[in-house]
Amino acid sequence: MTEVLIDLEGVCRSYERGNETLRVLDHLDLQMERATFYSLMGPSGSGKTTLLNLIGGLDQADAGKLVVAGEDLSQLSKSELARWRADNVGFVFQGFNLLPVLTAIENVEMPLLLTPLSKARRREQAAFALELVGLGDRMKHRPRELSGGQEQRVAIARAIASDPTLILADEPTGDLDRASADQVLALLQRLNQELQKTILMVTHDPVAAEHASAIVHLDKGRLGSIEETARGRSLREASVT
Amino acid sequence: MILHLVWRNLMAHKLRSFLTFGAIVLAVFLICFLRAAVRTLQGGVEAASSQRLMVQSAVSLFQNLPLGYETKMRGVEGVERICKWQWFGGIYRDRSNFFAQFGIDAGTFRESYRDVDIVEGSYDDFQATKNACIIGKGLAASYGWRVGDDVPLIGTIFPKQDGSEWRFLVKGIYDSRTAVIDDNTLFFHFDMLKDAIDAGTANGPQGVGVYMLEVAPTAAPEGVMAAVDALFENGPQRVQTTTEAEFNRQFVTMLGGVPTLLGAVGIAVVFAIFFAALNTMLMAARERTRSNGILKAMGFSDDFVFRAMLFESLFLALAGGLVGIGLVKLIEEPVAQSIGRAIGGFRVEPSTMGFGVLLALVIGIAAGIVPALLARRLRPVEALRSAA
Repeated sequence: MTEVLIDLEGVCRSYERGNETLRVLDHLDLQMERATFYSLMGPSGSGKTTLLNLIGGLDQADAGKLVVAGEDLSQLSKSELARWRADNVGFVFQGFNLLPVLTAIENVEMPLLLTPLSKARRREQAAFALELVGLGDRMKHRPRELSGGQEQRVAIARAIASDPTLILADEPTGDLDRASADQVLALLQRLNQELQKTILMVTHDPVAAEHASAIVHLDKGRLGSIEETARGRSLREASVT
Repeated sequence: MILHLVWRNLMAHKLRSFLTFGAIVLAVFLICFLRAAVRTLQGGVEAASSQRLMVQSAVSLFQNLPLGYETKMRGVEGVERICKWQWFGGIYRDRSNFFAQFGIDAGTFRESYRDVDIVEGSYDDFQATKNACIIGKGLAASYGWRVGDDVPLIGTIFPKQDGSEWRFLVKGIYDSRTAVIDDNTLFFHFDMLKDAIDAGTANGPQGVGVYMLEVAPTAAPEGVMAAVDALFENGPQRVQTTTEAEFNRQFVTMLGGVPTLLGAVGIAVVFAIFFAALNTMLMAARERTRSNGILKAMGFSDDFVFRAMLFESLFLALAGGLVGIGLVKLIEEPVAQSIGRAIGGFRVEPSTMGFGVLLALVIGIAAGIVPALLARRLRPVEALRSAA
């Protein structure tokens, strides 16, 4: 039996734009299972990034209930949310968002500062994460000395360094060429399959979306449909047999 | 790691960080230097004794008082000791070699100025030798004079009749523990001057420039001042009796608004540097929007981001401040040597260095607090959206 990791009930989120109130998420109900790789698709303005931010604890809903990894995020204060993010979520952004002044290994080590690990242990774990994404030979490089694909892989290493339950990726292949994008997507698949990470990836790219097990379609702030991908079917069939 | 991040952020814009650092170095250096200079000027006022009174002509400091006043003042109740002071104004080889020389009463000087220690030679030798003098250790160091040397001075106020030099035999070198007596002065016997004038071998004004009265510990200085002034109310020459602090203050006043001007320049410099540092930190905060958003997304608290921004400003200011203080300390001795003979006792005191550190801290906090608060208030979603 699969376990629900993300549970949304009637979640609403609006923004003020001048005199206008823009409802981005409109009573959204959605459940997502643990250790599953989801793509989140929908037209611009459908609320994809807003949903990702709410699930990641970067933002809070105006109404409704949002439980992620057993925690009702609407009940947490700002500082509790920050702590929760550190323990449960790894972010991967379209623009990589590495700290430009730090080396690759220092970037990966950053989230580990929020753990009780010793300096040596942090270094070891960061190095392991970089090895995992195939950048063991680029540890001392600064972001500007890396290609876009390599930067995104460092960002993924950073996202998994503290071993979070959930990885949230906002258009992770948006700024990459096809070959680099394929590498990143393959890496996300591995993290899902081998490390049992739950991944939610916002994308506009149908090819990228097919790398997930299921595609969640949003439309005008509401759930459109949840569609199983070919990969999802084959994984399900494999698990049955 | 927070310090590591702060350091890396500063090094990401080396030129900007260096220029801001340099500005703070300059500000703290200048402030500490000016403060040391002002305190030097005012040192004699602050160190003055409340038990010492100065009696001068009511007309002008440059008008001598009759010698006979000493005997009359001895009769005033509360007067314990009297020491005559006479400005000599001699020249050593060249007018540029300026330093103060005074004829004093060797008998009472030692008792009245107990903060003056003889570090070489002997006061008794000085007292016993009529043409002897004692010199400050600063003066001795400047000219390489030692005990036993002869110091030739050309009299300007008191020229010798035959045009020859006055010669003073160094019998002691003193170290003063108070700013009232500085270490760049030569003291000789008043009687030597008086006898030469009386004998006609030297010219110059008769009488005494200033009388120092030491008041008995049990007596009230105000009462003694009033009594002395009243004693000569009807002449032959009226006197003005002041406390030593007041007497010394008139020399600072003679400089007009110099201390105020120095203070105003200092404040202006601090404000200019503060705005430069604030500008740097605001620029840094704006550039750091994305990085701060990333840190918050990772789970770093608002307080961490606040501290990182504030540390950056504080680090820059404190490093600049310490270097500035170091520079002032480095030039302390050369400055003391060069201006010491005119304005004695230039010292960068620990309180001035402390003031420099405090100033650096204030600049650091004032320049960093607003950017740090902005960074603290930053919502990660907005920071990441603006970056995108």
